[in-house]
Amino acid sequence: MRDKPARVRLTALVAAVAMLVAGCTGSNQGGGSGPIVIGTSLPLTGQFSQPGGEAKRGYEIWRDKVNGTGGLLGRQIDLRVTDDASNQDTIIADYTKLITQDRVDLLLGSFSSLLNYAASAVAERNQMLYVEPAGGAPNMFTRGFKMLFFTQPATAPHHADGITAWVKSLPEAQRPKTAAFITQDDPFTRPAIDSLQKQLEEAGLRTTYTTIYPANTTNFQPIAGAIAAGAPDLVAQGAQFEDGIGAVRALQQVGFSPKVLFQTNAPGNGNQYSDGVGKAATEGVFYSTSWSENAKTPLNDEFAQEYRKRFNAPPTEDAADAFAAGQVLQEAVTKVGRIDQVALADWLRGNEVQTILGRLRWAANGEPQGNFMLAQWQAGKVEVVAPKEAATTEKVVFPKPAWP
Amino acid sequence: MNPRVAQTVAAVVLVALIAFPFVAPTATYEHTVLLLAFLVAIQAISWNIISGFAGYVSLGHSVFLGIGAYTAGILSTRWNVHPLALAPLAGVVAVVVALLVGSVVLRAKGPAFVIITIAMLLLFQVLTINLPELTNGSDGITLELPAWGRDVGNIPFYFMFLGLMVVTFGFSAWIRRTKFGTGLVAIREDEGKAAAIGIPTTLYKNLAYAASAFFIGVAGAVYAYFLTFLNPLGAFNILTSVTIVLAALVGGRGTLWGPVVGAFIVSFASEAATVYGGGSQSRLLLFGLALVIIVLFLPDGLLPTLQRRLAKRREVEYTDHAGAMDHRPAEVGTREPIKPQPGPLLELRDVHKAFGGLKAVNGVDLAVPAGSITALIGPNGSGKTTLFNLITGTGGTHTGEIWFDGHRIDGLSPWLRAHHGLGRTFQVTRLFKSMTVLENVVAPLESFSPRVLASGAVAGHEADRARDLLSFVGLGRFENERAGALSYGQQKLVELAQVLMLEPRMVLLDEPAGGVNPGLVDRMAGIIRAANRQGVTFLVVEHNIPMVLDLCDPVFVLARGEVIASGPPGVIRHDPAVLDAYLGEVTA
Amino acid sequence: MTQALQTIALGLLIGGVYALMAAGLTLVFGIMNIVNVAQGAFLVLIAMLTWKAWQLTGLDPILLALATTPLMFGLGWLLYRLVVVRVRGTTPAMSMLLTFGIALTIEGLLNLTAGNYFRSATPSYFAQSFHIGSIVLPKAQVYGCLAALLVLGLLYLVLNRTWTGRAIRATAQNPSGAALVGISASSVAALSFAIGTATAGTGGSILSVLYPFFPASHYEWIARLLGIIVLGGMGSLRGAWVGAIILGLAETITATYGSPRWATLVFYAVILLVLLVRPHGLFGTRLREDVAT
Repeated sequence: MRDKPARVRLTALVAAVAMLVAGCTGSNQGGGSGPIVIGTSLPLTGQFSQPGGEAKRGYEIWRDKVNGTGGLLGRQIDLRVTDDASNQDTIIADYTKLITQDRVDLLLGSFSSLLNYAASAVAERNQMLYVEPAGGAPNMFTRGFKMLFFTQPATAPHHADGITAWVKSLPEAQRPKTAAFITQDDPFTRPAIDSLQKQLEEAGLRTTYTTIYPANTTNFQPIAGAIAAGAPDLVAQGAQFEDGIGAVRALQQVGFSPKVLFQTNAPGNGNQYSDGVGKAATEGVFYSTSWSENAKTPLNDEFAQEYRKRFNAPPTEDAADAFAAGQVLQEAVTKVGRIDQVALADWLRGNEVQTILGRLRWAANGEPQGNFMLAQWQAGKVEVVAPKEAATTEKVVFPKPAWP
Repeated sequence: MNPRVAQTVAAVVLVALIAFPFVAPTATYEHTVLLLAFLVAIQAISWNIISGFAGYVSLGHSVFLGIGAYTAGILSTRWNVHPLALAPLAGVVAVVVALLVGSVVLRAKGPAFVIITIAMLLLFQVLTINLPELTNGSDGITLELPAWGRDVGNIPFYFMFLGLMVVTFGFSAWIRRTKFGTGLVAIREDEGKAAAIGIPTTLYKNLAYAASAFFIGVAGAVYAYFLTFLNPLGAFNILTSVTIVLAALVGGRGTLWGPVVGAFIVSFASEAATVYGGGSQSRLLLFGLALVIIVLFLPDGLLPTLQRRLAKRREVEYTDHAGAMDHRPAEVGTREPIKPQPGPLLELRDVHKAFGGLKAVNGVDLAVPAGSITALIGPNGSGKTTLFNLITGTGGTHTGEIWFDGHRIDGLSPWLRAHHGLGRTFQVTRLFKSMTVLENVVAPLESFSPRVLASGAVAGHEADRARDLLSFVGLGRFENERAGALSYGQQKLVELAQVLMLEPRMVLLDEPAGGVNPGLVDRMAGIIRAANRQGVTFLVVEHNIPMVLDLCDPVFVLARGEVIASGPPGVIRHDPAVLDAYLGEVTA
Repeated sequence: MTQALQTIALGLLIGGVYALMAAGLTLVFGIMNIVNVAQGAFLVLIAMLTWKAWQLTGLDPILLALATTPLMFGLGWLLYRLVVVRVRGTTPAMSMLLTFGIALTIEGLLNLTAGNYFRSATPSYFAQSFHIGSIVLPKAQVYGCLAALLVLGLLYLVLNRTWTGRAIRATAQNPSGAALVGISASSVAALSFAIGTATAGTGGSILSVLYPFFPASHYEWIARLLGIIVLGGMGSLRGAWVGAIILGLAETITATYGSPRWATLVFYAVILLVLLVRPHGLFGTRLREDVAT
């Protein structure tokens, strides 16, 4: 053969033709009597690997629970989890592949608003129901999506409601007078902290410092130094996980301990959080939560026990949220009786679902209509302190003791 | 390779690609894999214009994809316009950014450009995150969903990207055929030489950078609509840039087809790695290793390597004596001086140049009479070549004045000096070795106007004149050989023909007889005389003293950066200072 | 006032560490005109190894530099002899592509073996600080900076007081002259590449304590280092010191008084500005080889 480059192109042609054939014969699935394939892509590695790994645990406990009790519509659930490495680009490719190549029957959502933003757009475009256990950024629900449902009690701005109510409940003399607000540049934590700052300023607190730091910030000393300079009574941080630990360490380094420390998500990570900051340093840290181990919702005990049995650790909020997302999907499919994406979405819009987080219901745009609880680390354990009906203790640690 | 076979194969592949969605309308996954390969190809073909043709490697070229995507994303939500309608505008915005950045960095050579391209990508990433009023920050931008139904899948995008790829390829192929294209290759091969033969290198590089941005910007807008969701980290992604570079390198940087072939190889390999090799994590390792291996073992890429393997080794005879000795009168063009003037054509006034403490040129005054063949001799290291560099504008800063044809030219760029009619050859020939002899000879630009850019590289009157000049130097039958394949003496002659293409008023010859077969020295002298008779003034640096004394008048003698003697050859021959300078060199 | 002093102190401490990391990069560029884009990946690689060793043995991470520095010296020497030497004499772009490929390979390997997670070594003194008046100096920063300065001092002695060092400096200033006096260009190149990567050994161990890191952190680090050496002047050791201190301060001040969001931008902005206004940086030779006058 005289002309090799041409042969290279010939090979490409053969490949193209091969693909033609593959295109004709391949790809079927969907429907039938085999297992129901449910696809999800989670941040198992990277910046959100902490919540991502927890979500996987929650989904798997839910799957095994359903499969152990007769399956969904009488069929077993085959859960496909891929790793998006906390990367928005990868999650787009992953969900596209789940929908177009793997032809999964149903989808479950991912973790963190940042990733769910991207993934829900793929689902919406392909008219697939998208039930997400995280992704409570308010802007998620201003896009007019019809297939998106968020399975926590409320969206990010309401994260602030519990701590604000508690501050207002304090006698005037004890109330914090000043506050510093810092947050990761993240679609979920930013509105949460914005809303808190607004509410606390309305309640009469003076803001000494506020800043937004990039998601990959590793050096918290300048921030901790700036916070310490204003010596506020209350420090609030919109923290996913690593940044929450980093900030606590930096505050320890500069030797500043506020009377109240509130973080949005990081303290909800159970042992991972207390190992990160040191058990003694967790004392008195507030956070808001969608779930409590002690709640008397159906299946909650079963979930918590199973989690402890499998992973030999106290269950986390993120795993519970994922479990609840599974419950929502399950309820819709069972009630509709078939897998019809649009019908499932319509059903969810009109009905309430009982989950281990409590009863959930949604507005037309998929935004949930409930409230968060206020939790606090006390003596190395997590306690719910508000609202009253869900509280696990009467005691509130205030002011927060100095760093160990 | 046989271009006709290549074209046929390409046409068949294209038809297969067009037919594919009709044959298999439900193969959405395969459509998606292919359309992403088209997207890589669009970017690699574009990258090839600046980094392949012109040799300026951009490591952050996907920045234009992000810019295009964000242009469409931002404006479609603000103006309520369909994103696809904004695609041309997205291309224009990418071009504007390229021109702004290029005007800063492309004056530079070396690692600065590469560093800037990476920095620019990361800079845009941070800016899009930090300017949420404009870009919606890390929340990203959600575009409207495609209007067509779900059953159509990605087929419309498939055809959009396929079409864009074909157009981009056509654009790149067209550029390669123009004078602009050969100018870019000349810049890659030898930027200093390119400037010396009149190519406005800075302008060319900027245009190439802008040209390499346009279609990526357009594709970015389509890509945004395809994704329906835009975010800073995804839009300005370093791995996308690596994919582009890798695709072009694998196929063959600087070739026409290389980036296309490479894009398909890299896309499919990366997809295979993701599906069979353990997800996106292994892709990174694969890309890294591939990059190392390609740079080390296959720096030219697949296509050129295969082509070289297959090309019959055809040695070119050492000297074409028959051709070179074959006297054929030829017209050597020169331009009429704007106004005939009695004074010298070239004049240096008190020129100084120092490298650190070393005074390479120390107060030289020198005048070359119009119409003369003037010699500049002197021992090694006396500053002759440095002086040449100062005259042609590649020697850097100096003091003193240089006047040419009534204009002060110090301060002008090398190519502007060339456009004034000042040409030069080099001590060690600097032909563009990958171009053919004929392409080398037509490469010079005697003047520049925008029209030049689009004109064919080897065409019309110009090509005829180049062939005449090649015949004039006796190398007519080598016009289609690669210049690098010629003997050294032949290359000297080609370089002479090349500089005569400028229709120069004056040519600086740096050792025209150095390293040349003695049989050719007389021929060289004859050519110089013939050209001189037709009005070209020469300034010759030469060590072959008999040739100088025979050919030149006047003669200037340079030693330690100073003119120590000047006058007709008869006088210089007996000047004791000259003998001393040369003897001094011998004993030293 | 206290906050200003505090900010400056933190900036100086981190500047010292930056100086060490950048010294290796600028040295390699000065000797062989290669921009080693993999320097950031070397840092992260060593940080990861240090973290692992600290986990297993409990040895102090910064002291582990005693092991990681010679390790990186050897690795650098091997890498030069086996790989980098092949691209000498080609264009700067090709050598940058090569080192970029090396960086991606390291990142990929770390992803596969160690996983894509943030890590940080936290020895016992991690949360403690020295207090000087009202200024707080975190112990980790102080120890890190001291270790960096110590190694920089050693480097300075080697370059100025030993024949080898003088050979390296001579080659950087005038390669052909150095060859004339009998300096073997290839051994000098191998040696300086090894020294350059060895600084990443020390730097990486220090990094493991100062900042959390994960495999993709190397982009951020190489961007920082490039900013520093472009500002100081590529190839100039003195420039690397000065550039590191200036940018360490600028980063900390921006983070404190501006916003942490804009702190990373300082480095990119510096690269663009310097190449525009003063291409040879503060002390360097011309990096931007202007083709036109």
